[in-house]
Amino acid sequence: MLDLIEVFERADNGILILDTDYYMNRFVPKLAEIIDRYKIKWDRQTIVNSDDDLADRVFQAAVDLIAEAGAYCPDTNRVMEFTRDEILRAAEQAPQSTRFGEGREAKTMYGRDVDEDSVPWIHVGGGIYTTDEQIFLDTVEGLASINIVDSLSVPSILHLRGKDARVRSPQELLSAIKTVILAREGIRRSGRAGLPIINGISAASNSVSMIAAASPQFGLRPSDGFLIDFLSEMMVNYEALQKVAYFNSISANIGSTSTPLFGGYAGGAEGVAVLATSYFIMGNLIYRGSYHYNAPLHQNLRLSSTKPLLWAIGMSNQANARNMRYPVVNLPYLGGGAGTRMYHHEMAAYMLSVVPAGGNIFSGHPAKSVEPNSLLPRDHQFHAELGLASAKFSRKDANPLAQKFFEKYEKLIKDPTPGFRYEQVYDLKTKKIVNEEYLKIQDEVRVEFKEMGIEVLTS
Amino acid sequence: MEHSEHFDKLKNAMIALEKDDVVSITAKSLEVGIEPLEIIENGLLPGLNTIGEMFEDEELFLPELIKSAQIFHGAMDLLQPKIQEMGTNVKKKGTVVIGTVKGDMHYIGKNIVKLLMETSGFDVHDLGVDVDPFAFIVKADEVNADMIALSALLTTTLIGQKDVIEALEGQGKREKYKVLLGGGAVTKAWADDIGADGYAENGYGAVKLAKSFIA
Repeated sequence: MLDLIEVFERADNGILILDTDYYMNRFVPKLAEIIDRYKIKWDRQTIVNSDDDLADRVFQAAVDLIAEAGAYCPDTNRVMEFTRDEILRAAEQAPQSTRFGEGREAKTMYGRDVDEDSVPWIHVGGGIYTTDEQIFLDTVEGLASINIVDSLSVPSILHLRGKDARVRSPQELLSAIKTVILAREGIRRSGRAGLPIINGISAASNSVSMIAAASPQFGLRPSDGFLIDFLSEMMVNYEALQKVAYFNSISANIGSTSTPLFGGYAGGAEGVAVLATSYFIMGNLIYRGSYHYNAPLHQNLRLSSTKPLLWAIGMSNQANARNMRYPVVNLPYLGGGAGTRMYHHEMAAYMLSVVPAGGNIFSGHPAKSVEPNSLLPRDHQFHAELGLASAKFSRKDANPLAQKFFEKYEKLIKDPTPGFRYEQVYDLKTKKIVNEEYLKIQDEVRVEFKEMGIEVLTS
Repeated sequence: MEHSEHFDKLKNAMIALEKDDVVSITAKSLEVGIEPLEIIENGLLPGLNTIGEMFEDEELFLPELIKSAQIFHGAMDLLQPKIQEMGTNVKKKGTVVIGTVKGDMHYIGKNIVKLLMETSGFDVHDLGVDVDPFAFIVKADEVNADMIALSALLTTTLIGQKDVIEALEGQGKREKYKVLLGGGAVTKAWADDIGADGYAENGYGAVKLAKSFIA
């Protein structure tokens, strides 16, 4: 595999072009040509693909896309180019397992195969904004207390002395440190101090804040996971490369992260499937990732539970599982608010799309991730259990069931059901659930799921 | 051939994203004596409107939207000299200054809004990403804009939208420009809280809102 300095130099020495020329003269036409070349077509009906040959063609297309379009560095206005051989070598040498956590909680996340009935890695939580330190702590403690959970995404807390921190400000740096300290404390209170946080660092939007808050005295360790994202689409900026340089220097787990946009430069389902797969390979080639956060998103609706997106997300997992087996968690942006039927239905369709496709479990992000205090640990326990139930399905069996769940929320996608906030569901002193309506919905949904053909067992 | 046939052909060529056809039909329309403004109003813009609707219905995506704008500009290269010769002006729906606020590097959503506004007949001035709050005002003054459209994806960059409104108030220009917000982290509650004139969840909504501002 290319050494890191050589990778960084590609950002300095490639062809010098405008970003608009990169997109319109390279990325867009190449992607369209490659999709035709490999005859990649979504039939507008299927949610869970079971055509192995198609999944393999998506992988080949992803390799071609990197080879023919390259990535773009906006800091130097240069295209980072890689040969086909370099790309294939990065795919071959990608890790197929990654060790996270400490002590009793140390565990290995594996890249899974399609139709594999092994127990997936169970990741819960989300980087959603919280308004209050107590709610933040209680949320993290509640998530870490779910006994089947292997790792956490912790929320973000961005305010200091009652004010929200500005991006790149010293307050943002302090908020990132505060987020880490509080998160580690919340986890410690659950009695599982070694449990890994793998969305380092939710409150840090720039490399200075992230590297500062990653300092070990605040509680993060190389055995946690640090996210480094690609800007949509195919952009690799110096901030990302600074993080790559640092986290490789301390040999920490790096989570390469991508959010290919449906309706953006990649176009529709086919483009998103190919592009998402390209990001897996680039996660190794450019970021030296240990695992991947796969988060395709609808440009307008800002969620990932539409039919074409479910197909594309599952397809990218299948392409990876059959050709690379890089450990992947898939980040579900859902429209329904926390605790709602819509939210659970979306999560069911999502889990059935990604878990039989070789992905690992990641619980849902409600209300498009914009409603504060909307991570409810009880939801995440249910979704982890739902993920385990989904692992018992083959792709072929998962498809009709995913269709049934999709039909349940299809009409609500443009106007999703609002949900609950933490303080509306939990007693802030006892930390117990006191909202009967919330509990009733989840109980009814569990019964409904069983009747529909997927039994979600309580852990 | 009736003028209406030229317009239909032009609209269909635009929808099919056939650049050569759009340019040749535009040239032919001029040759037979159709007024340039009529060609725009009755041929090119209806085609662009249909493309906008197809984008909203997910039949077309950003690459096609960009291509349609390029084709439109190709046709305008033929029409503009004639319009100037005649001493008339293309009637724009309104003038918009758009950008992603200070500290935020995200651009795709902003680019979509820009394209949809352009293809809906607005004169759009794009300042790019990570834009200083005062730069929006300088540009708006320079081009005599009707509105300023501010994009922010991150919770930590939302404050940049508030800064622009505050800067407008500080310069006594708040009433001069409508302020339209959009972006991943933006909610209606935030828009109301900071006193914006409107918030749109997606590009098409932004165009509708912009049209309502100048109605």
